[in-house]
Amino acid sequence: MVKREEIVHAANLIKIDLEDHEKYIEQVEKILNYFDILDKASAESESFVTQEMSLDKLRDDKYVPFDENLITQLKNYKGTFVKAPKMV
Amino acid sequence: MLKLQRWYKMNLGITATQYLEQVKNGSLTVEEFMAKTMERIKKVEGSIHAYISLNDDAISQAKQIDKKLKAKEKVGSCFGMPISIKDNICTKGMKTTCASKMLENFVAPYDATVVSNLKSQDAIITGKTNLDEFAMGISTEFSYFGPSRNPWNTDYVPGGSSGGSAVSVSALECIASLGSDTGGSVRNPASFCSVVGLKPTYGLVSRYGLISYANSIEQVGPIARTVEDAAFILNIVSGIDTHDNTTIDKGKTDYAKDLDAGIDGKRIGIISEMIGEGVDKQVASATSKAISKLQSLGAKCSEVSLDSIKYSVATYYTIAATEAGSNLARYDNIRYGFDFDVEGYEFNAYISKARKNFGPEVTRRMILGSFVPSAGYLGKYFLKALKVRSKIKSEIDQAFKKFDLLFAPTVPVLPFKIGEKIDDPLSLYLLDINTIVANLSGIPAISIPYEIAQGLPIGMQLFANSMQEKTLLQAAHALEKTTNLPGVPI
Amino acid sequence: MTKIGLEIHCQLTKLESKLFCSCKADYRSSETNRNICPVCIGLPGSLPLLNKKAVEKAAMIAMALGCKTPQKIAFFRKNYFYPDLPKNFQITQYNAFGPTSIGHDGKVPIEDKEIRIRRIQLEEDPGRLVYEGTSEKTQLTLVDYNRAGTPLVEIVTEPDFETPKQVRLFLNVLADLVENLGVSDPSLDGALRVDGNISIDKGNRVEIKNVGSFRDIEKALHFEITRQQSLAERGIPIPAETRHWDEARKITVSARSKEEEQDYRYFLEADIPWVLIESSVIDRLKKNMPENISSKKERYIKKYGIPLQVAEVLSSDKFYSDLFEQAHNEKNAKEIANIITTDLKGFADTKEQREQLKITPKHLSDLADAIMNNIITRNSGKLALQEIVKTGKPLSEIISSLDLGHVDDESSLSKVVDDVFNEEQQAVSEAKSNSDTINYLVGKVMQKTKGKADPALTLDIIKKKLDSQ
Repeated sequence: MVKREEIVHAANLIKIDLEDHEKYIEQVEKILNYFDILDKASAESESFVTQEMSLDKLRDDKYVPFDENLITQLKNYKGTFVKAPKMV
Repeated sequence: MLKLQRWYKMNLGITATQYLEQVKNGSLTVEEFMAKTMERIKKVEGSIHAYISLNDDAISQAKQIDKKLKAKEKVGSCFGMPISIKDNICTKGMKTTCASKMLENFVAPYDATVVSNLKSQDAIITGKTNLDEFAMGISTEFSYFGPSRNPWNTDYVPGGSSGGSAVSVSALECIASLGSDTGGSVRNPASFCSVVGLKPTYGLVSRYGLISYANSIEQVGPIARTVEDAAFILNIVSGIDTHDNTTIDKGKTDYAKDLDAGIDGKRIGIISEMIGEGVDKQVASATSKAISKLQSLGAKCSEVSLDSIKYSVATYYTIAATEAGSNLARYDNIRYGFDFDVEGYEFNAYISKARKNFGPEVTRRMILGSFVPSAGYLGKYFLKALKVRSKIKSEIDQAFKKFDLLFAPTVPVLPFKIGEKIDDPLSLYLLDINTIVANLSGIPAISIPYEIAQGLPIGMQLFANSMQEKTLLQAAHALEKTTNLPGVPI
Repeated sequence: MTKIGLEIHCQLTKLESKLFCSCKADYRSSETNRNICPVCIGLPGSLPLLNKKAVEKAAMIAMALGCKTPQKIAFFRKNYFYPDLPKNFQITQYNAFGPTSIGHDGKVPIEDKEIRIRRIQLEEDPGRLVYEGTSEKTQLTLVDYNRAGTPLVEIVTEPDFETPKQVRLFLNVLADLVENLGVSDPSLDGALRVDGNISIDKGNRVEIKNVGSFRDIEKALHFEITRQQSLAERGIPIPAETRHWDEARKITVSARSKEEEQDYRYFLEADIPWVLIESSVIDRLKKNMPENISSKKERYIKKYGIPLQVAEVLSSDKFYSDLFEQAHNEKNAKEIANIITTDLKGFADTKEQREQLKITPKHLSDLADAIMNNIITRNSGKLALQEIVKTGKPLSEIISSLDLGHVDDESSLSKVVDDVFNEEQQAVSEAKSNSDTINYLVGKVMQKTKGKADPALTLDIIKKKLDSQ
């Protein structure tokens, strides 16, 4: 059984405020209980599925400028900087 | 060429193949057809809500193509065909919202590769279609802009997450559409709306410009009226893209060629876990009929068991949620989003407040996606899911040693009413059980409309091995030819 | 016993483009927020495209530090929220499924120790933050994304250092190494950043971050050792924590650890396939690796008979060794080495000076040849060099315009010696008994001839004249 505090902690890590979202905790708990079905699967010896590519297919090291004015299309653009909330 | 009675009934209800023929032989102008399409959209949108935004330039773009045709200039292979694009695929200059408040005002400064491929073939984008927010959902009920409705019965869901795309094709608001399929999001709504939906092999179609939800799993896929049309679109959007290192080389493959090859002698595995318990009786009966039909076409059908299917939903949602949590972390409303001034706020407080504007399904998945790879639970959930995914892939590989294709109904149930399942997220997740296995293993799969039962569509699904789209399309085409479905009632 | 480990971030400033996109790798010349694209600011739908040369250069650094490179490398996401991180995750490397980063288990000899390298990884630099106003009044953070996506190689050592001096030596070796490999210019601000961790007598480990320069890391470590020792002496336990180096006050300050609560939830970056590094690629890179510093030094000593001190200076500075390589032949190698390390040195200390130098390899070989063939004296050579550096004119022109020709005809020299003898009569009488004073007289002759007099001949003439007196 997963503890409520652990779900809240997970939400904090992802910057989701659960203040008035009690029902989410219940729903998440229920879904996590369903995920426990994975315990029954015997797959310990399996390795992971991955894609591979060879070094020579990678992007060449060249400078290609993008549109100079890209920054003006972002919101919170102040003069030359992007505005972000203050860090304490 | 395939004659499908259902589409002939209405002037708009032609296939892509028929559209191209008519434009090329001069019996139809691009502008005419586009104007009718736009009229149709105006007429039906109120009751089905397929689109989030429309392309106001569509008719003038159509005029441009007619001009080129008249001047005998070269025109791309789409000849001004009206195509809709799911609103999680970037279109330069038009908004791309992912049906979320978090991207309410976002205008991408570039086209997704699939969009620029279509545009370079002179397709015309009719508009951006509705979806479950950030493509997370199975019914298009989780859209910030309200649900889309099934054109076969507007009290019912159209499926999801590419609900708007399937509706627009089914309700004749465009000829074809591009959706995205992460756990069944192209095939499921295609099945619910009685159209064709294809999920290509992972890597066959570029994801550059597809706004990421689960990037090791998802693919852009065509939704169209016929298998032939889907193949036509696949030809245009598939292949290596220098913007996307996960794309695979298709060589000179022409997916629309040799569609009539038939399935005589092909070995088809009926997935036993997908035809037993939990399947609506109408779906079960349609499935049996389809299997008989396949046999009558010369295929050798027998059952195959994929034991790991029972873990597939948990596996999928564990991995997809983890990737989603990470892919959606960038939505902090600082660089793009909605109006909410940063001044005066502390960083964490601002972000948490802004992110309250995600819908409930996205919120749930992000919490899950933060939990399952977190310290203390990583091994039990996320790493275990990766291993089970591997196991599923091995079982699929084994199955394709004995079979050329696999078969199952696309969704175990008939379309359900809007609002019916929205408060039980887990019950929705479980509806993905037939489609998820293709996403987890990367193999291609297609849904074709098979039957209408109680006025609601049922679709059948075929799977092929990686990069075997030709085999898949041939089989789908063969089965499709045996169907005789009514036209959409709306 | 003191144990110090380092975590070094080295920007690959010599690359043309960023790690995952085609914006400039060296952002320093760009206006704020003008060196960006959808990929490096993480616009929705954008995908990272790994830079081939970055992988090659990182592999070369790994090899130069004695590390093993795996056959396949992978990238991971490190998930956390920060305003300088456009995607709110960093694409980095992480050895979760066995070794998957570009290098691991290497070693670097320093003095009499061997410093083990735990791992080397490729990752992207975040953007830069600027804070408006003071920390109390500020209402905003300002972000410049120009740096976001710049290729970084992170080098993590085992805590094998025992003294701050060893750390400094290591860092100097590292700076020379990356410069010599042509991957980074360590003189650029922020190109090489160092964090350290330190513990004394098996106590808790303290991380030191935010150290600006190499000199400061030594200071910071000294301060920290002292701080820890004084706590230990008083029986106070040393808390495991992160401390920041306060450059102004030259002390370490406890940082409110923003990372303590962090769970980065590392997982594979699915947008970047595993990259296969075949052994043929490693061989090719090894072959093309510029000669390393110690083998250069050995070669200079063995092949050309260059003295150890000179060889050390010459080999450890890429600018000098490049000049040397291009200028010398078998005969004049030693002389050129000498000119570079004694005379040129004064004119080529800073980056600005080096950029404005007008000297070419041909100048050096001409100069060396002229000295060796007695066309000009070594002293005149110094004057000529000064002129070359400033004007870049060919040596022959300078010799005639400055009248630097070697004076070696006995009669004119003899006259000059006579003049000096007249002016320095005291010295002359001393010189008969004191050989040092003879040198003084030689010096005077050199002065009068503006260094053109042949020193050997001058000495000879002076001796003869003294004897005859």
